[in-house]
Amino acid sequence: MAPDRHSSEKTPTQGRARRAARRLGLALVLVTAPVTAEDHALVVLSWGGAYERAQQAALFAPYTAATGRQVSVRQYDGGIAGLRRAVAAGEVPWDLIDMTRSEAMAACDEGLLEPLSPALLAPAPDGTPAQADFLPGALGRCAVTHSIFATVIAYRTDAFPGRRPTRIGDLFDQQRFPGPRALQDTPAVNLEWALLSYRVPREELYRLLSTRRGLALAWARLDSLDEIRWWQAGDTPPRLLAEGEVVMASGYNGRFFEAMVHRGAPIEILWDGQVQEHESWAIPRGAPHPEAARDFLRFATATERLAELARRIPYGPARRSAAVRVTTHPESGVDMRLHIPTHPLNAERAVTKDETWYARTRSRIQALFAAWRAERDARPAQD
Amino acid sequence: MRSLFAATHAGRAPLAVVRFLGLVLLGAVIGAIAALVAEGFVAAVLWLNDLLLISPRSRMMFEHPGPLVVLTIAVPTLGGLAVGLVHLAIPERRPHTPADAIAAVQTRRGRLPARAGGLSALGALLSLGCGASVGQYGPLVHLGATLGSLGARLLRLGRSEDNVTIACGVAAAIATAFNAPLAGIVFAHEVVLRHYALRAFAPVAAAALVGHVIAATLLQRGAFFHVADTAVPRPWEFIAFLAIGGLGALVAGAYMGTLLGIGRLARRLPLAAPLRPALAGALLGLAALWVPDILGMGQETLRFATIAGAFGGGELLLVLVLKIAATGLCLGMGFGGGVFSPALVIGTLFGALCAGLVGALGGATQETFVFYAVCGMVAVTAPVIGAPLTSLLIVFELTGSYALTTAALASVTLASPIAAQLFGRSLFDIQLAERGLDLSAGRGRAMLRATPVVEHLSQEGVILHPRTPVAEAVTALCRARHGEGYLVDEAGRYRGCVSLADLEAAREAMPDGPEPSPRVERVVPLARPVLAPDATLWDAMAALEDVTGEALPVVDAEGAFLGVVFESSIARAYLARGDELRREEHGTG
Repeated sequence: MAPDRHSSEKTPTQGRARRAARRLGLALVLVTAPVTAEDHALVVLSWGGAYERAQQAALFAPYTAATGRQVSVRQYDGGIAGLRRAVAAGEVPWDLIDMTRSEAMAACDEGLLEPLSPALLAPAPDGTPAQADFLPGALGRCAVTHSIFATVIAYRTDAFPGRRPTRIGDLFDQQRFPGPRALQDTPAVNLEWALLSYRVPREELYRLLSTRRGLALAWARLDSLDEIRWWQAGDTPPRLLAEGEVVMASGYNGRFFEAMVHRGAPIEILWDGQVQEHESWAIPRGAPHPEAARDFLRFATATERLAELARRIPYGPARRSAAVRVTTHPESGVDMRLHIPTHPLNAERAVTKDETWYARTRSRIQALFAAWRAERDARPAQD
Repeated sequence: MRSLFAATHAGRAPLAVVRFLGLVLLGAVIGAIAALVAEGFVAAVLWLNDLLLISPRSRMMFEHPGPLVVLTIAVPTLGGLAVGLVHLAIPERRPHTPADAIAAVQTRRGRLPARAGGLSALGALLSLGCGASVGQYGPLVHLGATLGSLGARLLRLGRSEDNVTIACGVAAAIATAFNAPLAGIVFAHEVVLRHYALRAFAPVAAAALVGHVIAATLLQRGAFFHVADTAVPRPWEFIAFLAIGGLGALVAGAYMGTLLGIGRLARRLPLAAPLRPALAGALLGLAALWVPDILGMGQETLRFATIAGAFGGGELLLVLVLKIAATGLCLGMGFGGGVFSPALVIGTLFGALCAGLVGALGGATQETFVFYAVCGMVAVTAPVIGAPLTSLLIVFELTGSYALTTAALASVTLASPIAAQLFGRSLFDIQLAERGLDLSAGRGRAMLRATPVVEHLSQEGVILHPRTPVAEAVTALCRARHGEGYLVDEAGRYRGCVSLADLEAAREAMPDGPEPSPRVERVVPLARPVLAPDATLWDAMAALEDVTGEALPVVDAEGAFLGVVFESSIARAYLARGDELRREEHGTG
């Protein structure tokens, strides 16, 4: 997959806005940084959709307003293959990548990312140093977590008259909850849920998934599902649910929120077994504007920006000072606190994705997953 | 000397209350220390397991299959060598275990050696760290007991307090390790103290409570088992649980037999002591390449055994047998560690096997699968550690499920008595009996058997040379106001015992005249048992059963006369021991 395939179009009004912002921001920028690269837009690789719109409003536009530097956004669906190729070719087109922490860790181990110092980050408004303000594990060697998002199950509220799924095990209960499911085309999250459905404690998940027996149990559970629609892009599962193609789907909680609250889709989130992941900023090795990228990173991870981002997309801010500042959605007025995965009511039985585990096992687990899928896909043909 | 029979109400004096509260406080302090040490121990084991590629997670995350194979064999082998070398530094050349703590309390000896305790813990840490198939709770219990005993010694407290503090350390270790304070308290009473006294209860409870609080705040561990909250076994299934209990006792017997048998074989092995665990480690590593489930404490295996379908039927049996063999090999060949964790795994596998059997016979067991697994677990562990109540409480405190606890009760009801009849009260008791400490008749006898009688040896007995004239002997006895004399020749050898009455009779029978008085050796000696220098109070009491007389002579193996022990000293010592026990077991303060 070429991550830069969907480079976003900019509207003509943005050009005017940019010029205006540049004039406005010039005064600010003159104080802090030399402006030699001013004309070169910062290229950010992110995930598109509602997420990108939220970032645009909470981060990119204010950044441009403050510094005069334009932000150009490219879209991808995760993965580090594109980054690997770009670094190998010596032609890295992005200044910043919004990536999951697990991928950032893997990329960091491969030397694809610039190391980052915690000293780069702004302190909290009350002066708490960044290291104390960020959640544990948020500050990595090459990446800084800005938000905690969750992969959850959402279901159509009209699919199961008289009952609703309450436990993650219900994902695999086709007797009580019949109908096709949509799952992400990755081993991650699916394996966790499959094993959780045996009611193993979440603390033991990755220890058990590290054994042949645990993996066999997980594959067996996934295999028990009659119909799985595999998705890759994050906006697919809300669409499949809204169109009634599937009755349950895994997906990012932000996307489901968008479909539920803003588009009125008849879906509900099952928070049980949500798998939390860190979404982080990283600067690729060989980025065209590394200094400006650091500058943006400091700006975008400041308390106020994180709180603003969480008002627009329901991801848990990675800073404690930001989590308490989250208020209502600027347009719909929905109280966002109830929709972020880290809210105590939602996080009761949350699984934290073991990213160290994935960073080290990714290729082998991926190969096992591919083999399982190939076997599963081949099976109906044999019948 | 204070009379033994004087009624004492010392417990009501204000000073005694303060002393007692001090003991409770000491219990809490020991609980805190034991809990912290236990947490540290557990954390160190986990760290070593990750570092040495024993834990499944670290093995999975290690990306080189070739070196992993080499390390799987090398780590337990070298670990075994290290453990063997550590154990060389222990005077008995073997790790100390909960059995030693039990012996110390049951004989009221107390005073667990700190150095041997520390070295045993180190050996266990290395054993567990390098993946030996041993348990961690035994070492934790012994470590807690050693810390408790050390506390009593540092504060110069008596033996009785020493026993209580040992129990405190034990309770705290269990309360912390399982996060189960009630089980900790009951374990200390059921296995270590073996009596219930309010005097011991309060400090032990304080220790367990503090241990629990520390465990709950330091480490939030996941529940040991998870149970589908809707499932309730059908009435007929209790018959299956009972049967599991009966069969579980046999599995426990096989487990203990393997352990002891390999231990006996290992002692005859023409192999230097440190090389024995190394050999066991190498064999374990080899087998683990094929069946990794047997490596280490087996927490993952334990979990899988509670999940229906995680193992095939044949696979269950294979892992069960291999786990018994692996644990017997590791512990028998000289790794340090406990017997409880492997028993948990073995029992759970056995329970899962039974669930499979019941399923095959037509009973649907999908929902109640975990009941069978837990019943098997309790049925095997309770006989091994000799603690049915503790096993039940562990199930109750860890699952919070009343249904599961009653099912386990059904199994324990049969398992414990059957195993006790066939094999002994627990593995610890069997081991102690092999070392010469028989606890089958309880603490009273064990204590008498552990009290040497030599401490009451007296030189006040009248010693007569065999060729002493009878008349002289009579005079000597009368002067010393004794009724018996002991014949000792010029080489110092004991030749028999004569009574004043017989001497008088011999003198009376003597015709008046100039012939010399007959020698004492001509007088018929009394039938009087003799005591060896290492005889115990128990031996002395047994000897006294057929004796009417003053004292028992103590004679060594060469026949040399060492002195006598007066019957009255034996009786007094016996009463004193009984009084100590009464005070400890029935006193309140």
